[in-house]
Amino acid sequence: MLLRIVNDWFLRSNKHERLWLLAKIEFKLRYYENKLGLLWALIKPLMDVAIYYIVFKTILQTDVPAFASYIFIGLILWNFFVESTTGTIQILNTKKYLYEYSNMNKLEIYTSTLLSNSIGFFFNLAMFVLFYNFFESVSIGLNWNNLWILLLFLNLFLLSLALSLILSCLYIIAKDITQVWQVFTSLLFFLSPIFYKLSVFKGALPSFDYANPIAGIIINARRVMMEGLPPDFSLLGWDFAYAIILLVIGLGLLNRLGSKAAEKL
Amino acid sequence: MNNEIAIQAKDISKTFHVTEDSHNTVKHRLFNLFNPPRKKDVQAVKRLSMEIYKGECIGLLGSNGSGKSTLVKVLAGVYPTDTGYINITGTTMLMNLGVGMSHELTARENIYVSGSVLGLKIKEIDALFDQIVDFAELREFIDTKIKFFSSGMVARLGFSIAVNAGADIMFLDEIFAVGDMKFQEKAVKVFESSWIEGRTVILVSHSMETIQQYCKRSAYMRKGELVYFGDTKTAIDMYLADNN
Repeated sequence: MLLRIVNDWFLRSNKHERLWLLAKIEFKLRYYENKLGLLWALIKPLMDVAIYYIVFKTILQTDVPAFASYIFIGLILWNFFVESTTGTIQILNTKKYLYEYSNMNKLEIYTSTLLSNSIGFFFNLAMFVLFYNFFESVSIGLNWNNLWILLLFLNLFLLSLALSLILSCLYIIAKDITQVWQVFTSLLFFLSPIFYKLSVFKGALPSFDYANPIAGIIINARRVMMEGLPPDFSLLGWDFAYAIILLVIGLGLLNRLGSKAAEKL
Repeated sequence: MNNEIAIQAKDISKTFHVTEDSHNTVKHRLFNLFNPPRKKDVQAVKRLSMEIYKGECIGLLGSNGSGKSTLVKVLAGVYPTDTGYINITGTTMLMNLGVGMSHELTARENIYVSGSVLGLKIKEIDALFDQIVDFAELREFIDTKIKFFSSGMVARLGFSIAVNAGADIMFLDEIFAVGDMKFQEKAVKVFESSWIEGRTVILVSHSMETIQQYCKRSAYMRKGELVYFGDTKTAIDMYLADNN
């Protein structure tokens, strides 16, 4: 049954083509509209890495090994999360032309935008792998455990999709969710172990790595990409559970509020 | 025409809640918790049921504000219905002054996006591409963002996509009222070239001639109510009788 639905979805309809087409166009709109193009996708995280490196390594003297890579991997995951949540709050408004004149499924609009962000993410991830393996002296090289990053990314993708659905549907009835979310993300940013040493983070906020799904994903990403270890499975389980619960809420909201977007926005 | 149902609507209705000042910020909502905004309900479409078969051309008549456009949006699945249910078999496309196009995209990208939204595969759009461009007479501007187009050019592009790509069910809301003479002639020509055959079309128009010419069955709406649904001639007579 499930297999048949998936099969229908992929082969008999044009849905996967449409998702990819929309994602490509979205990506092009973001990066090829300006002079430096795709370079920005790389420059942005590199600049951020440089800033945090100066603050935490040079000034505050953190003793995390391979600190540049440590922030790099944290930041690309974080940036994907922010782009996919803050960046999509007004999606039902900006992409109105797609659903205002036809009965296209709105979920496709979200998925294609997140796919477009994923292109950027994987580009950055490739940069990270190069950087970590060729420039970092303490690198342990490539490892089969690196592949776990795909599952971690799926987790992040679902989590971001869920929050994107929730936020953009709430936007229909309360426009200032944008501001609320901005404050919340900056709080979340400092409550995630992006530039803190993990032991300091865990010591100061015990079990918070379980309460904050982003923290869990970043911690696991470092384990698999930098330490060559398999992920912490209980953490992974929790984070998937968060993503799925939020996704159920998000889909519910899309059905209740999102369906009214054409008349309310 | 066959007996397959394209749209089945049962007991659908649509009411708009118009608030005098919209409390759509969190602050506003908090401060006005015990002072709800004055609401006015506008019943745009009163409870009605209808079935439209595949391949039919249905005319939709009614004076301004009778709920035609709302009904069309509900039937197309753009607005959710308040009561009852609606089953739509296939993709729908609503066409009034244009189709859904992004002004940030080029004409080429819009053709691909719209075509894809209408349910075509990339290969099918590739095959139709030249036809769409030539029909719209926009060959020179194909890689220009449509925000730099004149409104006439946008309308031509939208019309061309709709005509050449087309969805399973097309809602044409006053398409003959837009564009210059040349454009209107083109629109009429398309209709005469048997384009309409084999498609499910819901035609909203104030032009009795057009409806009489293409539609076997028509619906007549008055103040949100479906007064009559059946033979076109009766519907037109009722409409004319009401307006004289």
